[in-house]
Amino acid sequence: MKLYTHSVVLAALLVVALGAASAQDEKMTKDQWQQEIAKYTQQRNDLSAKAKTLDQDVASLQAQSTQLDADYQKCMDALYALVGSDASKAAAYRADIEAAENKANELSRLSDADLVARSGDVDALAATVKGLWENKLSLIPEFWDRLTALNDKVKSLQATLANQVKVYTVGTWAKDRDCLWNISKKKDIYDNAWLWPKIWQGNRDEIKDPDVIHKGQKLKIPKGNELNAEEKAAAKKYYAKKAAK
Amino acid sequence: MHKLNRTVTALAMALLLAGSVAVVGCSSSPDEAQMKQLNDLKDEVASLQKDVAAKEDQKSTLNKDIAEKNAKLKKCNDDQAIVKQRLAK
Repeated sequence: MKLYTHSVVLAALLVVALGAASAQDEKMTKDQWQQEIAKYTQQRNDLSAKAKTLDQDVASLQAQSTQLDADYQKCMDALYALVGSDASKAAAYRADIEAAENKANELSRLSDADLVARSGDVDALAATVKGLWENKLSLIPEFWDRLTALNDKVKSLQATLANQVKVYTVGTWAKDRDCLWNISKKKDIYDNAWLWPKIWQGNRDEIKDPDVIHKGQKLKIPKGNELNAEEKAAAKKYYAKKAAK
Repeated sequence: MHKLNRTVTALAMALLLAGSVAVVGCSSSPDEAQMKQLNDLKDEVASLQKDVAAKEDQKSTLNKDIAEKNAKLKKCNDDQAIVKQRLAK
């Protein structure tokens, strides 16, 4: 019995001793604490040194960046000066180019028929682009490239217009005073009465006698602002015949 | 029987002594102030790590900006050369 009691006490003591040892495992020892302190102190020192180096690098880069801004500004001023201009004039010129680009884009989106109706805008745009080229700022690549692209757009618009044949429907003499001379004189036709032979020659199948046109006839209005050789010859023949009568 | 009893008792005493020595030997753990010192140090390291990461980002952004500015400056110088050529024509 005594042996049994001793065994139980021994077992209990063992359990208590093991429990205490296990709890001790979870808790940090002083040695471990010192190791941790040493490890984190080293890390802190390394990081502090790295942060300091980075601060110096950042300060140096910021200075470099500021210097580059100044150098760029100086370079741009010199660039504008080469063409006798400055930044504010260049900004205004840039805005003018942008407005012309917007106009060209707007006209490019029109249907062919609408474009014909606004052929005056195409002419005005072509004149604007020509004017922009005359400015020496156009020599700067930024503007040169944009103007070159703009030129291409204007040429494309003009080509589209050149391929379109305007049609005029003849009205009455009583109401519209329509004859080839008067039609040719109209602002939206040639704005020049002397170009009437163009309409005649462009509509030989419709017009046998240029003095006789009929209400409702649909006349093609050929493009151009002067008579070609054939039209001149026809006009000469017409006036000679008139004179002979 | 009596001999066995004595042996068990001696063994128990020895174990108890060894256990208590072990417990006493390992019980020199850091106190609260020392643990606070360690935790503060860990916090400081974590904060420094964030700080360093932010500075590295800033440095990287600056390097990128500088590369762009250098390219712009080079283009400006190239443009000057082109304009001079065009003016000479």
